[in-house]
Amino acid sequence: MFKRLWQNAADGVEIRFEERVIRAQAGDTVAAALLAAGESGFRETVFDGQRRGPYCMIGNCFECRVEIDGRPNQQACLRRVHDGMRIRRQRGARASEIADES
Amino acid sequence: MNPDVVIVGAGPAGVSAALALAEAGAGVRVVDEQAAAGGQIYRALQRVARQRPDSLAWYGADYSRGLRLLQAFADAGIDYSGSTSVWDISHDAGHNSIGLLREERAEIVHPRHIVLATGAMERPTPFPGWTLPGVMTVGAAQTLFKESALVPQAPPVIAGGGPLVYLFARQLIHAGIKPALILDTGPARVPVSLWKHLLLALAADAGSLFKGLAWQREIARAGVRRITAIDSLRARGDGRLQCVEFAVGGKTETVDTDLLLVHDGVIPNVHLAMAAGCEHRWNPLQACWQPLLDAHGASSRPGIWIAGDNAAIDGADAAACSGSILGWHLARELGLADGSRYRERTRTQRLRLRRIAALRALLDRLYRPFAPFQLPPDDDTQVCRCEQVSAGEIRRIAALGCMGPNQGKAFTRCGMGPCMGRQCGNVVSALLAQHHGRDIGEIGHYRIRAPVKPLTVGQLADIGED
Repeated sequence: MFKRLWQNAADGVEIRFEERVIRAQAGDTVAAALLAAGESGFRETVFDGQRRGPYCMIGNCFECRVEIDGRPNQQACLRRVHDGMRIRRQRGARASEIADES
Repeated sequence: MNPDVVIVGAGPAGVSAALALAEAGAGVRVVDEQAAAGGQIYRALQRVARQRPDSLAWYGADYSRGLRLLQAFADAGIDYSGSTSVWDISHDAGHNSIGLLREERAEIVHPRHIVLATGAMERPTPFPGWTLPGVMTVGAAQTLFKESALVPQAPPVIAGGGPLVYLFARQLIHAGIKPALILDTGPARVPVSLWKHLLLALAADAGSLFKGLAWQREIARAGVRRITAIDSLRARGDGRLQCVEFAVGGKTETVDTDLLLVHDGVIPNVHLAMAAGCEHRWNPLQACWQPLLDAHGASSRPGIWIAGDNAAIDGADAAACSGSILGWHLARELGLADGSRYRERTRTQRLRLRRIAALRALLDRLYRPFAPFQLPPDDDTQVCRCEQVSAGEIRRIAALGCMGPNQGKAFTRCGMGPCMGRQCGNVVSALLAQHHGRDIGEIGHYRIRAPVKPLTVGQLADIGED
């Protein structure tokens, strides 16, 4: 979908999306790193599991939400990659962090 | 801890306001959702200039102005917080407060003045299939280009109108990528009815007009197919974009592509100003909400000031001017500059703003919002992306007697998702206004309430613990 015009080998960063290992660049947003790796579906909607991906890239549309290092609801267009970052698709609604006591 | 002024946003307006205030000796803090100063227009510009100065040739000559501005900002040593979201602005009992969130930590700051320089956003473009991955705005693709040197792998389809369409198509061509097709929703030529505005714009700022024409010629010379006056647009695909379908002159055509870039002009990003309770009015010409401001940029809320494209769409150059003017005005309010210094330091900016206004008057009339995006004719078009509410459902609740967007939330949950109506707000109001034969200004906009950015209960509870 996208390719890089240039990159610096020294700025390589390794991240993981679902089970896939992706080489990104320091300074990339998570959204840019995933799009550069050919990933376009970042989340699945709450109601019927429609795939969604980045639309506005400036933090407004909230379509690029993913789970980053265990935290759900992270805007991929606003977060920067770091080495070892683990990203998962956001599937449906975020899970509650509070255990169900019933 | 509590500076004289907190400025929200580090684009041309925010940076220019900060520079003026810092020069006058005020305590300023700039908070910015992006990781580095520059706003959307000068995003990542300093880093790219450092890492790959040769790649700036793809951008165009105008960006050198941004580099100078950002260098001055860095040299001034102004307190800057990047990657910081604002989740609340309020004014109680004579005190301003602003809620910030940075690296999972929330704080509340009480400055004397707050400047909102939150810039513009692209006008949302609902049409059937626009929620498919692979459909994004022209601005989104340009962000990827500026920040990570990403360009489309296969020739993209571009649909929309306005200067950004031509600017970005030209940037892509310079970078060696030829768009497959431009579906231009703007007019093929300047209609006779706008010749008066054309002459005024020529007299005020011929250089910018000729620049725009030169972009269009370059795109034509590169052999990019361009179709004007399309009637409709539809994106199709299974889980991601596979093809674009459009109708022109009664005929439907389909083009295969994995990337559709759409653009329908930009509107003020007023979400924070609305959350702060500032009064807004509907501007029918620019088809957007604007804060009510006095000549200095004072909003209807004491101590909350607004400059740049979030006041009114005028472009980066004007934003820098209005930011600087507001900065010097606040310096005067703080007793750090007198009237003669204010006039002397803002003279060139005030002159420049007058020239820009003539060009804007032409552009506003030439590139009108694309009607099928603003009042989606197909009932199956999702207008609220978050809660998956269609145009048909909005029409249905309008027929049931729903008079406004806030009441519409109770019917449909429209506007109650994570984006808080940033994408669907204007379209929902437009659909309700159309049904009831009222003005959008009368129908109104969603009421925006804090927290306007996601904030966990834990983050809220941790405020002020140390």
